[in-house]
Amino acid sequence: MLGTMQFRTHLTASSLRNGITNPASFRAPPLPAIVRKSKSRSGWAAFSAADAPIATFGREERDDARDSISLPPGLRQEALPKHVAFIMDGNGRWAAERELPPSAGHQAGYKTLQLMVELSVKWGIRVLTVFAFSTENWLRPKLEVDFLMTLLETALKDNLQDFLREGIRICIIGDSSKLPKSVQEIAAKLEESTSNNSKLDLLVAISYSGRTDIVQACKKISQKVKNGVLKVEDIDESLVAQELETSCAALYPYPDLLIRTSGELRLSNFLLWEMAYTELYFAQSYWPDFGEKEFVEALFAFQRRQRRFGLRRQTIGVNQP
Amino acid sequence: MKMSAKMENALPPVSKYHQPLLLRLVLGLCWWMVHILFSIQHVVNQILQAVKSYFISILLVQRYWDLQLHKLRSLAIVVDSKEARNTLKVKKLLSWLSRIGVKYVTLYDMEGILKKSLAESQGDLPNGILHKDRMMIELLSFIDSKEGIAKAASFLCNKYLRDELGNCEGKDLSITESDISDTLNVIGFGGPEPDLLLVYGPVRCHLGFPAWRLRYTEIIHMGSLNSMKYGDILTALYEFSKKKQNYGT
Repeated sequence: MLGTMQFRTHLTASSLRNGITNPASFRAPPLPAIVRKSKSRSGWAAFSAADAPIATFGREERDDARDSISLPPGLRQEALPKHVAFIMDGNGRWAAERELPPSAGHQAGYKTLQLMVELSVKWGIRVLTVFAFSTENWLRPKLEVDFLMTLLETALKDNLQDFLREGIRICIIGDSSKLPKSVQEIAAKLEESTSNNSKLDLLVAISYSGRTDIVQACKKISQKVKNGVLKVEDIDESLVAQELETSCAALYPYPDLLIRTSGELRLSNFLLWEMAYTELYFAQSYWPDFGEKEFVEALFAFQRRQRRFGLRRQTIGVNQP
Repeated sequence: MKMSAKMENALPPVSKYHQPLLLRLVLGLCWWMVHILFSIQHVVNQILQAVKSYFISILLVQRYWDLQLHKLRSLAIVVDSKEARNTLKVKKLLSWLSRIGVKYVTLYDMEGILKKSLAESQGDLPNGILHKDRMMIELLSFIDSKEGIAKAASFLCNKYLRDELGNCEGKDLSITESDISDTLNVIGFGGPEPDLLLVYGPVRCHLGFPAWRLRYTEIIHMGSLNSMKYGDILTALYEFSKKKQNYGT
């Protein structure tokens, strides 16, 4: 048990270093009471660090809701983000360091994505948005772009049954008109087939740009004004938000946590509108190396961090549980 | 006699009673030791950081001499609204940035505290003015963010209704990124895209800084404004100068 506590405290320090914080802002955990009375059957529980699990002597009583979701020790269901966004960065550099072609990096990155989806379903995260391909990525070498499109097509095709079985709803966001016809067809079929699933919304951003999303929202609004459906006076920020592509995740359209891998510290034109109050977590590892341990560290960091929405919590449409 | 025997039976054996207590004390002691070790490590880290920051601030660390500020056309600073009330610290920060040679600074806090307090006391800012030759200071708040986009959309719709852009009835309306950028400038919500954004406060988010401007901005969390150090700013600017962006290609 002591080992667990030591490990947790180590996690605290290391995950803070991985976030966008400098070591100077790291705070040592508050001194806990040594023991406390708990609801465990044996009557006593040892106290660990602020966010650490309560290690009990004997089985702890848990409610039914918690029983259905098996979380790693120390993560609290109520403190988990409802919507997690990923910028899956570093596939190319991962491959280059191993003297492999970029395609090998993307293949390895795809495996990481599968793991993240699996863990999100397992831990009760409600929405997962992944930046699969940006509008700027079209400028990459044709060979790499073609490979990515083939990988995308294969991934969508091969996972349909898994999505249906696991209750995953797929939503493709971005300018799909630029995608190959075959990818467009599979994406449309997948969205339709999974539309009634509700365990996890998986938003896949392909040929996506945050600015372009805002532009198309303004276009839709203008069209509605032109058609007489809307008055110009009705236009406000909530109306713009409704027309954004992420509104397909109706319950939780705004990410609570953004994880970007490979140590880069920018949003790269991803979900610009939606990320005003998103906790930003920049992990050092490349995307193919980002595993369960790293995901848990990011979630621990999120759990600890102070979230502040300012005065406009109600009006800005921040995810409400 | 019988009563006392019954009472003796009712009491648990001494070892059974003391075992959990002993275990708790041992575990408690171990936890305290672990905590003390980490606290010592934390204090040592803090001291090392302070020493490093001091050496950087007096420019004894050679690599910080040339910051290559040509890459930094515009710097944005987001201050948590609670900390933004400390205008003395903000002014000190601005004077440091002016000394370093930063040309354009965008100051943002959600509630517009800086907008009110600094605009009122322009004379106290570095070199006496808000917009000056050496450093221009732009003050923003939450209303300059998403509201700006909504107003740009309204403006464009009005334009369409006056048929300045949508010439043909049947034609789809064409709005581009540059249309929105131009409109934001026209209606007073425009401005440069910051190359670097420094966040001061407990949060690890940009608190609603104008979304349109954040495409490729590097974001660094600086900790509390109250504990800001000149050396930390130099370090952040140095780290930024070493960054290479490939813009998705």
